[in-house]
Amino acid sequence: MFVYEKKLQYPVNIKQTNPKLAKIVITQYGGPDGELGASLRYLSQRFTMPLPELKATLTDIGTEELGHLEMIGAIVYQLTKDMNEEDVKKAGFEDYFVDHTAGIYPQSAGGSSYTAASMQVKGDPITDLHENLAAEQKARTTYDNILRFCDDYDVKDAIRFLREREVVHYQRFGEALRLLTDKLDSKNFYAFNPSFDKKCFDKNKRK
Amino acid sequence: MTKRQILLRKISTYAFAMLDLQMFLDTHPNDEKTLMRVEKFKAMLKPLVEEYEREYGPLMKSSDTTNWSWVNSPWPWEAEEDK
Repeated sequence: MFVYEKKLQYPVNIKQTNPKLAKIVITQYGGPDGELGASLRYLSQRFTMPLPELKATLTDIGTEELGHLEMIGAIVYQLTKDMNEEDVKKAGFEDYFVDHTAGIYPQSAGGSSYTAASMQVKGDPITDLHENLAAEQKARTTYDNILRFCDDYDVKDAIRFLREREVVHYQRFGEALRLLTDKLDSKNFYAFNPSFDKKCFDKNKRK
Repeated sequence: MTKRQILLRKISTYAFAMLDLQMFLDTHPNDEKTLMRVEKFKAMLKPLVEEYEREYGPLMKSSDTTNWSWVNSPWPWEAEEDK
């Protein structure tokens, strides 16, 4: 189960209203490489992961991603909470505004609603871990792209923190993949699904 | 920054140090140095959380005798001047 802590993982305190920036940051809320997809992907994949270290890694990273989802929501909220109609017009925020006003809705920067079709749970730990490695890099690229258009120090500070976490998660998933392949037949890592074809575990290395 | 924000930032710092090391332990469960560092940060975090909850209300749900303080303590997405 989950227990809520009434604080953000990293503080978000934005002073300047900026709906235009909110519109690009929201892509990490509900976009194709966003935090909602990340948490859902890891927390779903973990059920069929083989080793205890892998179950722990996916549980803890998936949980942290929920904290990142909350941080992105807080950034978008603080960027838009004081906007007036004039700000909406100037920022070109009308298209979002008519559907959601200042509500926080999971969508991409291009305006597509969140879809689970942007993630996969293959039930094959090697496949899933490779997807996760790619996902962390895609999110890192997205944060780098957001930073290119971001001149607000308070937003940059939080985005940089989130960007750094993608790099750390990449490292942990790399270690997880290695822990798994260490238990497999080194002549043939990639021809089997270790969650289904149990015979592919090297008998001498099995726990 | 307000007094509350400074204290919350300290809490976030130690809590984050713990979380990051705990995640490292997921793939290195026998790393003694890291196990000890988590213990150290846990001990540093405890009095800060106690001080915060005494002053500003609960960070996690617990129990109250007269008024349910969970409702009134600040919500994390709200900046200080909102109140």
